Amino acid sequence: MAYQLYRNTTLGNSLQESLDELIQTQQITPQLALQVLLQFDKAINTALASRVRNRVNFRGSLNTYRFCDNVWTFVLNDVEFREVTDLVKVDKVKIVACDGKSESTQNKNDK
Amino acid sequence: MLSNTGPVAKLYLSIIDDVIESMRELYLDEGLEDRVLDDLRRIWEAKMMQSKAMEDFRKNNINSSNFVLQLPDSYGQIGRAHKATVVIPAGQSIHGFPNNSETLATFSLPAGLAYPVQIPAGVTLQTASGQLYKVNVPVVVTQAPMGQKPLSLQIQRAPAPQSTAAPPDTKLPQQVEPPPAPAPSVSQSPQADLPPSPESSPVQQPQVPTADATQLPVVPSPPAQENEPSAQPEPVNYSMTSSPCSQLLEEALAQTTQLKSRDIDDILKQVIEEEREKAERRRNLPPARTQDQTEAVLAGLGLDYSYSELSDIVQLDGPPDNSDAEEEGGAPLEENDFLGIINAEAIKALQEGGGSSDGNSLSSSSDSEGADKLSAEDEDPLNSGDDVIEQDIPDLFDTDNVIVCQYDKIHRSKNRWKFHLKDGVMCYAGRDYVFSKAVGEAEW
Repeated sequence: MAYQLYRNTTLGNSLQESLDELIQTQQITPQLALQVLLQFDKAINTALASRVRNRVNFRGSLNTYRFCDNVWTFVLNDVEFREVTDLVKVDKVKIVACDGKSESTQNKNDK
Repeated sequence: MLSNTGPVAKLYLSIIDDVIESMRELYLDEGLEDRVLDDLRRIWEAKMMQSKAMEDFRKNNINSSNFVLQLPDSYGQIGRAHKATVVIPAGQSIHGFPNNSETLATFSLPAGLAYPVQIPAGVTLQTASGQLYKVNVPVVVTQAPMGQKPLSLQIQRAPAPQSTAAPPDTKLPQQVEPPPAPAPSVSQSPQADLPPSPESSPVQQPQVPTADATQLPVVPSPPAQENEPSAQPEPVNYSMTSSPCSQLLEEALAQTTQLKSRDIDDILKQVIEEEREKAERRRNLPPARTQDQTEAVLAGLGLDYSYSELSDIVQLDGPPDNSDAEEEGGAPLEENDFLGIINAEAIKALQEGGGSSDGNSLSSSSDSEGADKLSAEDEDPLNSGDDVIEQDIPDLFDTDNVIVCQYDKIHRSKNRWKFHLKDGVMCYAGRDYVFSKAVGEAEW
């Protein structure tokens, strides 16, 4: 089972909305929609692990930190994200991070 | 900006492909048609295209076309060849997203498309930015000066145009709805609608003088009616034929601007004078006539509207501490309130009494008005300005910029934190970025 963490992304949210539409029109069952989401979890975890190869550095000030159920949640202010040549400045960002080293990844439904 | 433009979009499309293909067999096992899966894919892709996350994809791949044309089912039955001739008079070929859906066909207009383009009725246009426009009447699309957004739609307005492109048009019906319902709230709603109403004001200003001219003969009330817009709009509505509610808003707007320039005292005195005149008229009328009594009741009701409206105006202007002090009954009266009562009593003495209920409401309105005026001079003794407003925790965590990732290691040394993250998706300002590794530092 893969982390359900990525359902709260643009891709994940749009998928959930699309599935909701199909459920509303009774084209699919909620159970089938859940299966789609589980398949999405696997696909996005695999894709991020295998198809993405870039590195980012960032620096900022930490506003809050929280560690609960092995999930870190940070809120940073005035952050600079730096890639090789580019720079992005963000006044406020929230980071939600699940344990990346856990082999037996449980269902982490995070919002 | 980070250079995750095309790669992010390609990654997303590949993920969509993976999910759809892996579900195909399951869907077949469930007995569902391929059409359902294709619908899911189409809706999912459409939502992604509309979001800014795929904005770069749109820029790179659909840079040539400024439209995505969605044709309804009826066009699908005609056939693609017909669509080509219908949509593009020049007969250029259409290329875009191949779509097997029976309900909608999606095309993107090519780069070399010569403007103006005739769009027939019943089509839905989607711009590069993702905005959808439903066209119910034949339109001619011309190229804007910048050449980027061809949305200078010269819409030939049918009797019932339904184009959702123009924000002022959508705002105007919303403005139209509130006024007819509760009359006393007319005076307040123009103040709230002031930002959007100027958009419609240039269009309707010529109608205002005519509306003012028709007010007086319609409403049987004293000539000085400028501070009672609520009593007038309803009769005016019936008398005017074209867009009465928008005119009403314009009247109220003009009147509120007049109101703003006046002092509250002047308004109060005017109301008192009107009330006095009404009372005299009532007294002068012969007694025991049902019709006159009805008129008196109606006048009284109208008067109540003006009182409630006036008190509303007064209460809006005044600070919350000193408003309705007398009506609450529990708060001890301060010196300012006493002065307010004295003023009201003086006015009442001049008035020679216009009825007990009228006098009470008058005193309360004048009292609150006086209290408001006098309390403005007092400073808040509690030093509330010294309070440090702390950000609420729910609001603190509520942000649009979210990074969803996994952590390899989180390290802290005193107040210096170090983050080692991986496999993350970042959403910033609606755009998406991905990373395989992220290293960061922050000081708490």
